[in-house]
Amino acid sequence: MSRGPASRIRVGLALACAGLTAGCGTQAATVAVTRPPAMTASLSTSLTTAQGTWAIAVMGGSAASHNNFWQLFVRRANTGRWSLATPEGVADNGGLVAAGGNGSLVVGFRPSQELAYSPLATSTDAGLNWTPGLLDAALADTPGAIAVGPSGRTLALLQDGTIEAAPTADDAAAGRWVPLATLKALAASAPGRSCGLKGMTAVSFGPDQNPIAAGSCVRPGAAGVFTDAGGTWRSAGLTLPGNGPGMGTVRVLGLTAIPGGNAALLAVGTSLLAAWWDGTRWTVSAPVTADGVRALGFGPGGSAWLLLDSERAETIAGAAGSTWRALPPVPAGTTVLVPPGTGTLAPGTGGSYDALAVAGSRLTVWRLARGAWGKVQQITVPVQYGSSG
Amino acid sequence: MPGMNSGLSPSDPTLVAAFRSALLHQGAIALLMLVFLWLLWATARTWRPAVSAGTSGVTAGEPAEARARWLLRTGFGVLWIFDGILQAQPKMAGGLATQVMEPIAASSPGWVQHLVNWGGTAWSYHPIQAGAASVWIQVGIGTWLIVAVRGPWSRLAGAASVIWGLIVWVFGESFGGIFAPGLSWLTGAPGAVLIYVVAGALIALPEGAWRVPRPGRLLLAGLGVFFAAMAVLQAWPGRGFWPGRAGGKPGTLSRMVTEMAGTPQPHFLSSLLSGFASFATRYGFAVNLVVVIALAAMGAAFLSGRPRLVRYAMWSGIVFCLADWVLVQDFGFLGGLGTDPNSMIPLIVLFSAGYLALTPAAQEAEAPARAAEAKRPGVRSVAAAGALAVILLGAAPMAAAAVNRTADPILALAISGDSTRLNLPAPGFSLTDQNGRTVSLAGLRGKVVLMTFLDPVCTSDCPIIAQEFKQTGQMLGAQAKNVELVAVVANPTYRSTAFTRAFDRQEGLTTVPDWLYLTGSLSQLGAVWRHYGVAVENLPAGAMAAHNDLAVVIDPAGRIRQELSSDPGPATLSTRSSFSVLLGQYARQALRQS
Repeated sequence: MSRGPASRIRVGLALACAGLTAGCGTQAATVAVTRPPAMTASLSTSLTTAQGTWAIAVMGGSAASHNNFWQLFVRRANTGRWSLATPEGVADNGGLVAAGGNGSLVVGFRPSQELAYSPLATSTDAGLNWTPGLLDAALADTPGAIAVGPSGRTLALLQDGTIEAAPTADDAAAGRWVPLATLKALAASAPGRSCGLKGMTAVSFGPDQNPIAAGSCVRPGAAGVFTDAGGTWRSAGLTLPGNGPGMGTVRVLGLTAIPGGNAALLAVGTSLLAAWWDGTRWTVSAPVTADGVRALGFGPGGSAWLLLDSERAETIAGAAGSTWRALPPVPAGTTVLVPPGTGTLAPGTGGSYDALAVAGSRLTVWRLARGAWGKVQQITVPVQYGSSG
Repeated sequence: MPGMNSGLSPSDPTLVAAFRSALLHQGAIALLMLVFLWLLWATARTWRPAVSAGTSGVTAGEPAEARARWLLRTGFGVLWIFDGILQAQPKMAGGLATQVMEPIAASSPGWVQHLVNWGGTAWSYHPIQAGAASVWIQVGIGTWLIVAVRGPWSRLAGAASVIWGLIVWVFGESFGGIFAPGLSWLTGAPGAVLIYVVAGALIALPEGAWRVPRPGRLLLAGLGVFFAAMAVLQAWPGRGFWPGRAGGKPGTLSRMVTEMAGTPQPHFLSSLLSGFASFATRYGFAVNLVVVIALAAMGAAFLSGRPRLVRYAMWSGIVFCLADWVLVQDFGFLGGLGTDPNSMIPLIVLFSAGYLALTPAAQEAEAPARAAEAKRPGVRSVAAAGALAVILLGAAPMAAAAVNRTADPILALAISGDSTRLNLPAPGFSLTDQNGRTVSLAGLRGKVVLMTFLDPVCTSDCPIIAQEFKQTGQMLGAQAKNVELVAVVANPTYRSTAFTRAFDRQEGLTTVPDWLYLTGSLSQLGAVWRHYGVAVENLPAGAMAAHNDLAVVIDPAGRIRQELSSDPGPATLSTRSSFSVLLGQYARQALRQS
């Protein structure tokens, strides 16, 4: 008995629908993507002021970011002991940014959760007492987002790339900030166009006390460091050896003022370099290669450190022809390195580095002595889990 | 999926009690309506005995209802009633959106999630009304299907089943997961309620259509295509159904069954499922082979349209579906948030009806028995009208709630607990507002003061509470001019007017009329905190300053009338709106009390 056309249509329909339905549940193939190295600086850092040495690290160890709070530690001048100095009154789970100058330390709280602006706190007594201040905007997520000049003039880099300035410390406390430049204006300026400026990463003061700003450029080999000369932004003239189309784009990861000039840390592809400026010319270090940078910071005399992936750490002493020096592999959980404690002692010249390792709410201080890290202190921080949920 | 989540526990006692109360209240109304309709009918019958005949569309002597249609009507009627009863489970009001709709939609594409989120948000704004409405609509449709035997009433019941079924299929089942990966007949694809929709559409067909085998053939052909497609889907390589174990972990089927075994249920059932999961892990290939062959065989038999083959397929299909219902679907309705018995029982009813529809001549033998039904048409008409009234009882408040953009205050009450009714003089104060002007409580006499305590650098609750206050002002409309929205700084360090102004800018409060954000010296603030029972302190290690969330309602005479926790809880869209509604209600009460 032969099957009629209706049967054939049924079978055809069945197969077509079956195929279509099966197609609905088919998963797309995964596309492998090669990720570029993570050359973005964390807010974890350290800095040295006349009051002492400071370190910023995130603690809590919680999967919920609002339960991880940033802590400020201080090793006061002439002491070897660390203590907790986090300013109170504001939840700092959005991150802390600090800058020293004019005999004080200014700490900015990055916005988090429902808070959209950045309260500030200033201490002139090594973190024993804090005075509140206000930046009615969101600080940028970069360790170089605040700078304090010798006169108390303060710069703030905002999340949207705008640079604001408070003429005095009192103005900063009262929230009286004025815009100095916007990313759009800087990018449209001649030096901005020249390097293809696409984002701002740090602010500082130059040797002439004028503001300096640094960022990321898209033009290969062009470094975006600009100085403000009476309202006109000019290139600071940083060029990298062998720059050109074959070179990667340059991102300024860190920028700080040093006596008589500035120091900067740069990422070019997988290379990291230090650069020093004396107001007229730049000195650039040899590169160090890394797959990613976890934290960075500056020490006295233009010294700098890098905490890299795989427990690697590199330090460099300063402009005078120095090269990167690898430290012994840092202890597990190290989130920040701290240069030696006095303002006159540069790394590698008799001082010793501290490595601050975090595990949940416990901070362990390791000190480098005779080529090995030794545990010297532990601090249990009373992290207030759930206080900002 | 923002918006859908009320953030409250489905077992929240306030929600559960309110849901129960709403069901009892509406149940009593439904009962009264039925009694009223009954009386109406009885009266009408007394006056005009002949009028009731024929209203149900059944007259003696007409051919009896086709067996297939009877099976669909009563089968799905019972299922709808059962689903309605499941909707009355205590956790349903607070849990359906978050525990049922959201997880089902999570693996679907963004546009499905967006659509489901819209429905879930409407539910989470009015969980009690929505929960109760679902109960009455489903019970009503089920009853309507059962009691309306013939005629337009009966076909309308089928149409109602289609409409409601589609709503449930889209919003409750995210299109039965057909756009999500992992679709399988075993777990309920393409959504149990889609089967209700098909059945409803068949019931809505003209009755004459059932007197020939054509509807049965078409239904079985459709089912045949469906089973064949499901067999292909089940057999498709790479979907994970063949291996019992993959990468050291249980395969797809074992994992699904293990998840079902985790549903709260009697131990012997979970043991049964766990046992089958182990079996499927060990003999994954064989289990899937049996499933694929069974689905393909049923598909082929239904497609053939031959009664004998279909009969075999039907009986073996019933056994197969029941096994899947028990061993894979875990009955579908356990755990306190099951909304239906999943797909197997409706599917059995559907293909059994298809088989019966193949042999319409046999219905003549049944005719005398069911002709008796035609002798009681009035009762059925009254019952059908009652069922429709029950549906409207659920649908009307649900429709009203759906167009209401503000949430039910029950959510706020569930979070904050009952407010404390007071009648105490409000402690006076004199502080500085955000513009530097001195403001005293005495100066606000004649207005209702809604007052709270906010930290201007707060990262969590305070900005949310401020938004709730702002929304309250908007909801009060013309009455807002008689209400002052007041916040007092609750931070011992960050308390200058620079911060209150920054907070106002952040929250868009600078243009809100009658908004005051007050601050002062630490001693001034300390006194206000103390008098109103607010504990404020700085915490170490980067934590936010701590303070309790409190709101007070002060009447125009300066007396505290209500005190409630203003902790916004999960601070979802619905709970924020709910708090604003509650504060607005308290403000209106205080205005009336003045």
